[in-house]
Amino acid sequence: MLKEEIKKALEHPVISKALTNFYEAYVVAREKAYTGLDFEEIRNEIVRVKSYAAEHFDELIKKFTEQATKRGAKVFYTKDPKEVINYVLEVAKAHNVKTIVKSKSMATEEIHLNKHLQEAGIAVYETDLGEWIIQLAGQRPSHMVLPAIHLTRYEVSDIFTKKVDAVEPDIKKMVKFARKNLRDKFLKADLGITGANIAVAETGSIVIFTNEGNARLVLTLPKVHIAVVGIEKLVDKLEDIDPIVKALPRNATAQPITTYVSFITGKREHWDGTKKEVHIILFDNGRSEMAKDPVFKEALQCIRCASCLNVCPVFRLISGLVFGRVYTGGIGTILTVWTEGLKATKDIQNLCIQCGNCVKICPGKINIPDLILEIRRRLAEEEGLPLKVKAIYSVVNNRKLFHTALRMASKLQKPFKQGPFIRHLPLAFAELTQERSLPAIADKPFRDQVKKIKQPEGKEKVAFFAGCLIDFAYPEIGEALVKLLNRAGIRVIFPQEQTCCGAPALYNGVMDVAANNMLQNLKALEQENPDFILSACPTCTLVLKKKGLLALRNQKVSPELIAKAEKMAEKVIDASYFIHKLIKEGRITFSKPLEEEFTYHDPCHLKRSLNIWQEPRESLQKAGLKLKEMFESDICCGMGGSYSLKFPEISVKILERKLKNIQDTGANLVCTDCPGCIMQIRGGADKKGLAFKVKHSLEVLAERL
Amino acid sequence: MFELFKEKASALMAEVYSFKNRKEALEFIKGFIKENTSSEDKKSVVWYDTWFLDGERKEDLLADLPQITFEFTPEIASQAKIGINEVDGAIAESGSLIEVSNHIQKRLVSSLPEIHIAILPKSRIFPDLKTALRSFNLTNTPYVTLISGPSRTADIERVLTIGVHGPERVIIVCVENL
Repeated sequence: MLKEEIKKALEHPVISKALTNFYEAYVVAREKAYTGLDFEEIRNEIVRVKSYAAEHFDELIKKFTEQATKRGAKVFYTKDPKEVINYVLEVAKAHNVKTIVKSKSMATEEIHLNKHLQEAGIAVYETDLGEWIIQLAGQRPSHMVLPAIHLTRYEVSDIFTKKVDAVEPDIKKMVKFARKNLRDKFLKADLGITGANIAVAETGSIVIFTNEGNARLVLTLPKVHIAVVGIEKLVDKLEDIDPIVKALPRNATAQPITTYVSFITGKREHWDGTKKEVHIILFDNGRSEMAKDPVFKEALQCIRCASCLNVCPVFRLISGLVFGRVYTGGIGTILTVWTEGLKATKDIQNLCIQCGNCVKICPGKINIPDLILEIRRRLAEEEGLPLKVKAIYSVVNNRKLFHTALRMASKLQKPFKQGPFIRHLPLAFAELTQERSLPAIADKPFRDQVKKIKQPEGKEKVAFFAGCLIDFAYPEIGEALVKLLNRAGIRVIFPQEQTCCGAPALYNGVMDVAANNMLQNLKALEQENPDFILSACPTCTLVLKKKGLLALRNQKVSPELIAKAEKMAEKVIDASYFIHKLIKEGRITFSKPLEEEFTYHDPCHLKRSLNIWQEPRESLQKAGLKLKEMFESDICCGMGGSYSLKFPEISVKILERKLKNIQDTGANLVCTDCPGCIMQIRGGADKKGLAFKVKHSLEVLAERL
Repeated sequence: MFELFKEKASALMAEVYSFKNRKEALEFIKGFIKENTSSEDKKSVVWYDTWFLDGERKEDLLADLPQITFEFTPEIASQAKIGINEVDGAIAESGSLIEVSNHIQKRLVSSLPEIHIAILPKSRIFPDLKTALRSFNLTNTPYVTLISGPSRTADIERVLTIGVHGPERVIIVCVENL
């Protein structure tokens, strides 16, 4: 089902083009919109304000209710979606409501309010232009802020012509058409329903942002107003809105401010001189449970700007029509756990590639990929793993068995091997090599080769953690690192008992296997008490240094072992950083400074999780190479470890863009510091017959000693 | 402060004018009305006035510009081309107007017609949102809107289009000596 939807979205003529165009303009415009402001300061404020609210929901609900009631609004708090629907239906009945105008409210979409109202014979009109189009088309929004971004002007004109009246596919004319047609609805509606962007407890006010001006009309013209407000919109003080007013428009659409920001406090008069009826429904639906969850409470810092969707390399290919439910993208997946239950996320949570591009942009500082991992972990725990996956991890869990299997595969692959590549696989595996060749498994793994390298006798000694890819597919990267370290007089030890770092298990939520991998590696690596532990794969580095500790804590291993692992983690350094240090100290110098142009691809985990990106560039430049930056150098290559096996169709689309960005630089060499990225980019270049070389930075550096 | 406000508001596509006194401002507004509406079009200008026209003879104004009406329903405001009101302040850092509307008519003129003329006392420009919020007692005010330029959308193909449900032009008439 999901696979079919992905296919449909990838083949869709508009989706990825529209989202990609938007994204490219957005990144530049957003940067400009923040000129003169300190984004870090603003988002720290948002975190402070929102996390305070989440920790004090009961108190703020009480305060808001008191204040708003005092000023004449009727406030109703409920946990139950059904009660929201009944409440709205009762108000509608009491006022003999025939038509309703609505301004955008995600909370009402969460409970499918329109459907229930229509079933009760009431006409409901969405008035945000995008939402109206989607409503007329009978579709689902493809993006939280840009609901109709997947439609062209021609499709919109068709929808209008079919459902309302004839109009040509001219955007300006269609906007006027919407104004004219909806104006009538506004004037005649008996009830207006809105959401709210913020609810201020101190004053009992709700704050609503719109660009089109539709919310002002919904608030002003009908006699009765109902606001359906998720309790996560609460803030304590009026001044708490300041960082949200600043960040929401800038992050959502790169605007410095939303055109209309309206503050509604209590009861107001109706145009005929009577008083208007104002109802505010404070809606819970799992949110207070979420606030009690030590991991997921972080997601309550979300201000619904959807910037995480804008920068997601997966979302921009398939949109919220596939990636998400009522709430879309990574954050939508997280919210869905609470609004619809963990099981509802079973398929979509897989779509996160864990590149972390959303983390740096989120104004609520939510670590979306980490929360998605937590979903994976809980799903694996609650639902169990499919048998096939279980079988794979039972192999990875046992080093000897795993390594024997890899050695066996090295023999079995012979019929498919063409030089260093596997270009075609039969039948069920064909998709894996359709757009990208796979690396052949090396005849002799690094763990065997390393034994033959004579080590210097110096005092300094580092342990090398190879990881599966370098060990079994790219032993030459390991050799390059040893050569560089030896040149600086550093002895390299290779503990033979080391195994998979645990990332594949960890990123699929299989924490027991990840913890077991971590413990095996801890034992192996600490045996000879090295000064440092180096890895030339940023994902392995990240697991040994940070993520593996989470797995251990999760599996509740003894505090002694955790303390040991923490001590080991301090010694773990990514090779790119360590070698850069040696070069800077003059301990590694280059005698063959061939002038050559290169471009650099930033591995996701190296840049965003380990904050290393300048160092490898500098090292390569020191070795005489000339840097030509590519567009979007730090956007994922589409590998994502086992992601490329789960969703090869998405993975190759992301890869195609990366290949184009590399080609556009004109450089004949692309360097990176992750064997996974190398596998992906090199495989794609091989399939397409592209001329550039793809190398690990360490290889290039070692060649120039 | 005014210069910053003007820069920010203009960037949002509001049109900002500044006048030394009420008389000059009124002359400008009258000229604008003449230029953009015809006296044949009854009720094409809806005006919610509380202090700006104090001391003026409204009958004279109506005789000169019969298209103006000071009494209107939502339907009339919806048909009008121009809506005029006084706003209560502005925010320099964002180029926003602050409209405190205890009376619904005040809101109707800024939300329904095609053009909104906002009369702004120059002394009421605040540096930023925080300062502005402190000087408005929200607890006594049922409806406050920050208005930043004309109504806009980019919902079809991400093409920015001005004038959806609200005005497509916002004319800010800033008055110095009141």
